[in-house]
Amino acid sequence: MSEPSIFFSEVNRRQGDFNRRAFLLGGITGLGMAALGGRLMLLQVLEAQRYEKLAASNQFNFRLIPPPRGLILDRNGVVLASNRPNFRLMVAREEDTDVEATVANLQRLVALPTDRVPRLVRDIKRAPKKSPVSVMEDLSWEEFSRINVRAPELPGVTADMGEVRVYPFGGAFAHVIGYVAKVNDKDVATVKARGETPDPLLYNPGFRIGRQGVERAFDLDLRGKPGGKKVEVDARGRVVAEDTGGDIPPIPGKEIRLTLDADVQQRALEVFGEDSGAAVVMDCRTGDILCMASAPAFDANRFVRGLTGPEYRALADYERRPLLDKALSGTYPPGSTFKPTTALALLAAGVDPKDRVVCTGGYRYGNRTFRCWKHDGHGPQDMHDAIKNSCDVYFYHMCNRAGIDRIHDTAVKLGFEQTYDLGIQGQSKGLIPSSAWKRATYRKDPTWHLGETLSAAIGQGAVSVNALQLCVSAARIANGRKALMPRLIKSVGGVERPSGAAVPDLPFLPEHLDTVRAGMAAVANDVSGSAYRQSQLGLGDVLMAGKTGSAQVRSFDKAKSRKNVGLPWKLKDHNLFIAFAPFDAPRYALAVIVQHGGLSGALSAAPKAREIMRTVLLKDPEIRARIQTPLPMPEMEPQEVVEGAAPEDPETIAPAAVNRPGTPL
Amino acid sequence: MSTSALSRPGERDRPLIKFIEIDWVFCLLLCLIAGAGGMIMFSVAGGSWTPWAAAHLVRFGLFFLLMIALAMVDLRVWFLAAYPVYIVSLVLLVGVEVAGDVSKGAQRWLSIGPLRFQPSEVMKIGIVLALARFYHSMSAESAHMSWWLLVPVAMIGLPVVLVAHQPDLGTAILIGATGLAIMILAGLSWRLILAGVLAVLVALPPFIMFVIHEYQRKRILTFLNPENDPSGDGYHILQSKIALGAGGFLGKGLGLGTQSQLNYLPEKHTDFIFAALAEELGFVGSVTVLLLYAAVIFMALRTASMSHSHFGRLGAAGVTATFALYVLINGAMVMGMAPVVGVPMPLLSYGGTVMLTVMIGFGLVQSSRVHRYSEVTSGRGSLL
Repeated sequence: MSEPSIFFSEVNRRQGDFNRRAFLLGGITGLGMAALGGRLMLLQVLEAQRYEKLAASNQFNFRLIPPPRGLILDRNGVVLASNRPNFRLMVAREEDTDVEATVANLQRLVALPTDRVPRLVRDIKRAPKKSPVSVMEDLSWEEFSRINVRAPELPGVTADMGEVRVYPFGGAFAHVIGYVAKVNDKDVATVKARGETPDPLLYNPGFRIGRQGVERAFDLDLRGKPGGKKVEVDARGRVVAEDTGGDIPPIPGKEIRLTLDADVQQRALEVFGEDSGAAVVMDCRTGDILCMASAPAFDANRFVRGLTGPEYRALADYERRPLLDKALSGTYPPGSTFKPTTALALLAAGVDPKDRVVCTGGYRYGNRTFRCWKHDGHGPQDMHDAIKNSCDVYFYHMCNRAGIDRIHDTAVKLGFEQTYDLGIQGQSKGLIPSSAWKRATYRKDPTWHLGETLSAAIGQGAVSVNALQLCVSAARIANGRKALMPRLIKSVGGVERPSGAAVPDLPFLPEHLDTVRAGMAAVANDVSGSAYRQSQLGLGDVLMAGKTGSAQVRSFDKAKSRKNVGLPWKLKDHNLFIAFAPFDAPRYALAVIVQHGGLSGALSAAPKAREIMRTVLLKDPEIRARIQTPLPMPEMEPQEVVEGAAPEDPETIAPAAVNRPGTPL
Repeated sequence: MSTSALSRPGERDRPLIKFIEIDWVFCLLLCLIAGAGGMIMFSVAGGSWTPWAAAHLVRFGLFFLLMIALAMVDLRVWFLAAYPVYIVSLVLLVGVEVAGDVSKGAQRWLSIGPLRFQPSEVMKIGIVLALARFYHSMSAESAHMSWWLLVPVAMIGLPVVLVAHQPDLGTAILIGATGLAIMILAGLSWRLILAGVLAVLVALPPFIMFVIHEYQRKRILTFLNPENDPSGDGYHILQSKIALGAGGFLGKGLGLGTQSQLNYLPEKHTDFIFAALAEELGFVGSVTVLLLYAAVIFMALRTASMSHSHFGRLGAAGVTATFALYVLINGAMVMGMAPVVGVPMPLLSYGGTVMLTVMIGFGLVQSSRVHRYSEVTSGRGSLL
């Protein structure tokens, strides 16, 4: 009762002042408390739902389940690219992670190469907080379990099982299939530049993006759609609990089937050995590419893992250039393998194939002598002989009867100087000179000189082609009817791609083609043909037709020898060979380029072509049936032959058997 | 009855009478707040007494006994101890400057033998005692406006500058604001107050731009725009707000707050324990705790106004001001209304030093209540 109160006591001035002011400050404190209460009201009652969501997005995390990448198969279902399980180690940075110490700890548990440590530490520090950085792949089971046992002491460290791309054939398909590699900033920037949001998969630490060939061109098909797993995580990103009910399964990538045949492709690389070059084989009825090899190859699996600097330099600096796709990207002068094209142009220009030219070993044009490869000359040559012997003088003499533009026109119709819709990138167009090209390219000397036609006619000079074009030309000559288009991708996700045979007819007269084919048959089968000894398949009456080629890569001084012996590799001639078989009923066409082979088309390229062709032919059940079947006796009825050989498909055997005797050489 | 007993000089010195006169409702409120703190610590440790809850409660028990003991200490002893405590604190603060331990980039701790403590905490009591004593022997006119006021200004300014230099901006603000509150309560002229406020407003921007440390400036800027850097400096504020908001009206329940249990909430047992409490106990729980604090502050203020001695009044009010500032600054920080400064929620947060300071202060408050009728003269005769 008598106690002084805040409100009424005025014992003296000091107490009065104190009480009034204590009341005031108490009031201010009260206002402050009320403000806190109001703030709580706002946060906890009015905006509670918003913060509830934020808390949930902290608490729950959708972990990406990466989809398995689609398989790549050959035409028979042999796996060319698949996935294998991979234990990997990742580190995600926290606010207070001592990156150096973490990596040092890891080094004690797993075999982490010391020279990679500084780069790893930098990568982890540069990565955003909580986003895992792949530290090591392919841990052994012991290492994997060691990490998982120690996980509680290693903040931010996780070891899990992912999948990694594997190429069972190593390098055999490296140029066609390409490879996958880590996603870099440029990949993400490219997607963003297109105005799309990058696939969250791109940020997944184990994800690999297609870098070359089929892997790159069909990356989106092969990639699939990621699934999701709802997990509860703590602030350090550790999974506390998994909610299996909320899982969304991933959709695997599409399977891609190529037209290639693994056996043929491998055989092609085998026969190349250490030689550098390319081999392309096509089915000359459908346009399917059975083999497209570039030698030497490289092991695509190394690119998946990531090349070290020295590894990459070794590949890039090697003069035989394993990284270059010599089948599509490399262009080479076709040399004499271009002569069938020139011959067709001559025929189209009305040259009588029976007209003869006497080859004396050289041809004087203007003030220059163009030499035949055979210095003492071939003697009188008609077109058949000229193709068979690869006589240069015949073509020197005749070529301007057709003219460069007709040659150019014929070459384009046969498939040169163009790229094809194979589905993969990296084709070079090559060049077939023409007067229009000369006008557009050489401003100072825009007129085409007739002398220049001489070089072009024998596939030298400005002419350059790639191995695929060469093979297409062989396939079109062999097919004789269709302007075949090459096909590499047989099906994507089970959907068949259009066949290369659904195309317009070739604009050549059949008898012209017959003349050229007969010449090519003589190259390989006439005992005096330029590649007779190297072209014998040894498959009974299944014979090959072909054309050799040898292209100079240096100009000849008068004093210098044209021999290649003792020359540095880079200055040696290219050796080429085109072929098709069986020549009486063509099924397969082939082109082989041996880069700087230094011999001749016959000695260097033809034996390789023969081996590859043998493999292709022996894989064809119809051809096998034909070889294994004894020649039909005149009195035997065809159905008996059919029964013994290929009971599943009698229709296709019969025409081949019937055609055989009457086909002209 | 007790009033009459207290008003009789012979009677009021008896320990039993003093004991009864302690404000037990006030004590109960303190126990409730500390108990709530222990409960939340138990919860955020995943339902474990260790490492925080048990230590917190045991420590509170000991300090509670200390407070009761201090409440029985004659106000005249407090009066005599005032200047020595202040001077010792000041010497210790200088000692920190010279020989303090550096921890987390600031020089705040001093080790003397086995003891390791923050002199800035002792100064919180020292400044209150010293100012109360100074004003006790000062006339109302001088306290209103006179050159004598330079003395308390110096008494406040010295420790503030020393503490701010450690650097410990939170404690410096606390000491300065407490001192200012005592000067106002003692009757400082409103004109001077206004002038002071204007001076501070003018001095603040250059102070922030040039004097304070980079990390402190960053905190202030982050507070002004926390969404700028949600995983860096804005992280604390953002996660604390999420915890509060996610608690909703009734809370997620003890042990069920995801923000605190999964460690998204930083310093969940110390500076941000209020957010952890609000997440698990909701609006109802957090407002209840806020009301407990309000009750403690107003009961302490009322105790202050009851004292017959100016020393008792200003001492109790000074302690109350410190306590209220703790609560308001921490509350505002946790709710995203103030930058992150290292000021805990008193009694609720884990940490012995602040609890000790606060309980010694409340010992002074209770002593001023128990001895509210005692004569505290500026002389020494009556006690010795």
